[in-house]
Amino acid sequence: METESHTIAKEIGVANKQTIRWNDFVLRFLAFVVTLVAAIVLGVSKQNELVPVQLVPTLPPINVPASAKWSYMSAFVYFVIVNAIACAYAVISLVLSLANKGKTKGLSLTIILFDLIMMALLYSSVGAAAAVGLIGYKGNTHVRWNKVCDVFGKFCGQVVAAIAISLVGSILFLLLVLLATVNLHKNIRH
Amino acid sequence: MASEPAKVVPPTEAPVVEPEKAAPPPTTQPTDYFAVADVVLRLLVFASALVSVVVMSTSKETKMLPNPRPAKFTHSPALIYFVAALSVAGFFSLITTLGSLYSLIKPGCSAKIISHFIVIDVLLLGIVASATGAAGSVTYVGLKGNTHVRWGKVCTLYGKFCRYVGASIGVSLFASVMLVLLVLLSVYSLSKKIPK
Repeated sequence: METESHTIAKEIGVANKQTIRWNDFVLRFLAFVVTLVAAIVLGVSKQNELVPVQLVPTLPPINVPASAKWSYMSAFVYFVIVNAIACAYAVISLVLSLANKGKTKGLSLTIILFDLIMMALLYSSVGAAAAVGLIGYKGNTHVRWNKVCDVFGKFCGQVVAAIAISLVGSILFLLLVLLATVNLHKNIRH
Repeated sequence: MASEPAKVVPPTEAPVVEPEKAAPPPTTQPTDYFAVADVVLRLLVFASALVSVVVMSTSKETKMLPNPRPAKFTHSPALIYFVAALSVAGFFSLITTLGSLYSLIKPGCSAKIISHFIVIDVLLLGIVASATGAAGSVTYVGLKGNTHVRWGKVCTLYGKFCRYVGASIGVSLFASVMLVLLVLLSVYSLSKKIPK
C-alpha cells in the first residue's frame, strides 16, 4: 500500500516537472520572438521629410530635407541594445534549461537571477523609450522642446509599435520569474 | 528489598530532572540569517524609495530670465510618473517590511509568506525599473541636449535642479538593485527548503 502511494506520488512529481518544463520552453521561445521583433521594428525605423523653413518673412519658405532615425536619440539606442541582449539571452537560457532539466540547482538559480535582471532592463528600456516618445509627441513648453510627431508621423507610429511589443516581451519575462517561484513553492515540503 | 530503594529514588529525582530539561530548548534555536537579511534589505528599499521621492519633490529652482521662471518636477510627465511609482514602491515595501518583521518574531509560517512576498517584490522591481528608466532618459536629454531635434540643454541653466534630480535617480537605481538582491535571497531560501 505504501509503495503504491509512493510510486503514484513519484509519477505525479515527474508529470508536474514535464508540464512545467513545457510552460518554461514556450514562454522563453515567445520572449525570444517578441524581443527580436521589437528590436527590428525600431531598428529599421527611418523617415525622410521636407520641412518648410521660413528664413526671411518676405521670401517663401525653403524646403529643408530632414530625417528621423532611431540612432539620433540615445534612449532609442538603449532600447534596441537591451532588446537585442534580451533576445540573445532568451536563446541561451532556452538551450541551458532544456539541457539542465532541473538537475543542477545552482544553474536553475542562476537562470532565475538572470531572468530577473533581464526583466528589470527590459522594463527600464520601455520606460525610457516611452518617456522620450511622449516628449516627441506632445513637446514640452517649459523647456522649449518642440513636437516632432506632427512632421514625422510614420516614424512615431513605428516607435509606438516597438514600445508596445517590447512591453509584451517584458511581461513575458515577468511571467517566467513568477513561474519559477510557483514551481519552487509547489516542491516545498510543508 | 532491593526494589524498595529503587522505587523510592526515582520520585525524588524526577522533579530535579524536569527543570533541567525545561531550560535548554529556548537557547538551542539558531539565528535565522535569511530572515534578518530579509528585513534589512526591505528597510533599505523603503528608505531609498522615501529618499528619492523627497529629493525629487524638493527639487524646485527659480531663475530670473528676467521674468522668474521655475524648474519643477511637475513640468515633465516622466518625472511625475517617477514620483508616483516610487511612492507606491515605498508604500508596498513598508507593508512587506512589517510582514517579514512579523515572520522573524514568529517563525513557522515563513515559507508561504516568502512566496507571496516574492511576487510583490518582482512587481515592485518592474515598476521601479521602468520609473528609473523614464526619468533617466528625460534627464539625460536635458543634460546633453539633442541637436537633431533642436532640444536644448537645461542643466547648464538649472544646476541645482539637475543635481537633485540626478541624485534621486541614482538612489532609485540603488533601490532596484536592492530589490534584485531581495528576490534572489528569497528564492535561495525557498530552494533550500526543498527536499533533495
